[in-house]
Amino acid sequence: MSDRVAIVGVGWSGFRPKTPDLSYKELMYEAAVRAYADAGVDPRRDVDSFVTVAEDFIEGTSIFDEYVPDQLGAALKPVHTITGDGLHGLATGVMLIRSGIARVVVVEGHSKASNLLTPDTILAYAQDPVLNRPLRLNTHFVAGMEMHRYLYESGTTREQCAAVVVKNRRNALRNPLAAYGADLSLEEVLFGPPLAWPLGKRETAATTDGAIVMVLAAEEVARALRQDPIWIRGIGWCNDSPSLESREWGNLPYIQEAAQMAYQQAGLRDPWNEVDVAEIDDTYAYKELQTLEALGFCGYGEAGSLLESGAFDLDGELPVNPSGGSLGVGHMLDATGLMRTLEAVFQLRGEAGAHQVEGAEVALVQSWRGVPTTSGAVAILSN
Amino acid sequence: MTFLERDPLAPQAWFGNLPAAHRYTYGLAGERFFRALKDEGKILGSYCPKCDRTYVPATAFCERCLGELTDWRDMGLVGELHTFTVLYVDVEGRPLETPQIVGLVSFGDGGIVHFLHADPESLVIGMPMRAVLKPPHERQGSILDIQYFEPFQA
Repeated sequence: MSDRVAIVGVGWSGFRPKTPDLSYKELMYEAAVRAYADAGVDPRRDVDSFVTVAEDFIEGTSIFDEYVPDQLGAALKPVHTITGDGLHGLATGVMLIRSGIARVVVVEGHSKASNLLTPDTILAYAQDPVLNRPLRLNTHFVAGMEMHRYLYESGTTREQCAAVVVKNRRNALRNPLAAYGADLSLEEVLFGPPLAWPLGKRETAATTDGAIVMVLAAEEVARALRQDPIWIRGIGWCNDSPSLESREWGNLPYIQEAAQMAYQQAGLRDPWNEVDVAEIDDTYAYKELQTLEALGFCGYGEAGSLLESGAFDLDGELPVNPSGGSLGVGHMLDATGLMRTLEAVFQLRGEAGAHQVEGAEVALVQSWRGVPTTSGAVAILSN
Repeated sequence: MTFLERDPLAPQAWFGNLPAAHRYTYGLAGERFFRALKDEGKILGSYCPKCDRTYVPATAFCERCLGELTDWRDMGLVGELHTFTVLYVDVEGRPLETPQIVGLVSFGDGGIVHFLHADPESLVIGMPMRAVLKPPHERQGSILDIQYFEPFQA
């Protein structure tokens, strides 16, 4: 038996900054029906197991996994929810197939961010309740402190971080799914409203609503279902200590570890030369540069000048976030990793339209769960 | 039905909330750390001889080797500014009238996250910062027994 796992169908609903017309169940339903049609599967007959990613506080419902089976066609089927990013969900799907428990698995993630009336308050509950939360600080302070230390240690400049915003929001203008496409100048980003100095508000991704569903299959099923399955060649994940007091601030060792895990499975030795397109974290603009370095695309402190040279542009040596990333598409909470994976599937199928990277054969997808976490995952896909 | 086809007078949503209150147990290490802060005005760390790391605030175990930590140390009140930010929004996301300066002051291999009292222009990563505590009778055994950190000149 082959242990290769492929993505054989993708579906989405949205993406839009607000969806007052649809419930989260309807968002999920629309994405699921699309994914099943794309894969050519009947969920009631062909799917062996379902995985969703969600956080109770974000959903506003305790034990939220109770509320996912019906709209996916998963009632009376094996289904479970994990509190992780979409890439953690994807990893779970891969494990279900490679362990032989299932041959066809569905993975779902969604964002109904516009229904969160107190998003900053909910995020503050993620801070350590004893050591940090009594200070009653907006959680963006963690990003401001991390950016400051990253700039200090790496020599990266504020201008280079702002250039990430300019690039990604311009890319988003070519992506019909992206809500935040814009043609900004470097000055408009640099001298925009402050958030957590040195971090500006325009360097911080706004949220968007939507749902993404993916159908995964074992190799023999995948080959029977379609000519162009997208292979998951490697997937890794890692967490550092959660402690703000003892973690590293200038580096991302947990992303380095997650990447090594994925690279080892994929047999990838030289990411710069072997990866054609990357969809990586840009929740905050500086993260894209810090993450490129942690992924081993370049040395520490080198990503900023490579960005300025155009290496990460849509027509550069390594296009990074051709979708527009979280800055351009909008941040989709725990569905973010699946949003990036969806873009990678479009790229590898040659279906990305106006933001297609010519001849893309290998894609890297990476995701981070946001402040205050040290939780990240990396996947390598190929066509 | 799409957004444009909707009846704008139709009921749209139910509004609800999730009230939640909790007790967060300090544990053995936390009790000892906060008692020392409250009663003696000290910041304590715990040392792992195997990994040669000092945890601040003190913990009961080493997160690297999982060994139990028994070597408790007084770290003094002066640490080194590791990083800081100027925060323009409050915990609920509303603009702050006066921005907050927040930093991580390192002690040993850990540190304390707290408010900084200084002109942000005068702050530099690496400079010494001293913890200013509440008067003894006002301390309650929490991180708020530290009022803030300020630049320290020896």
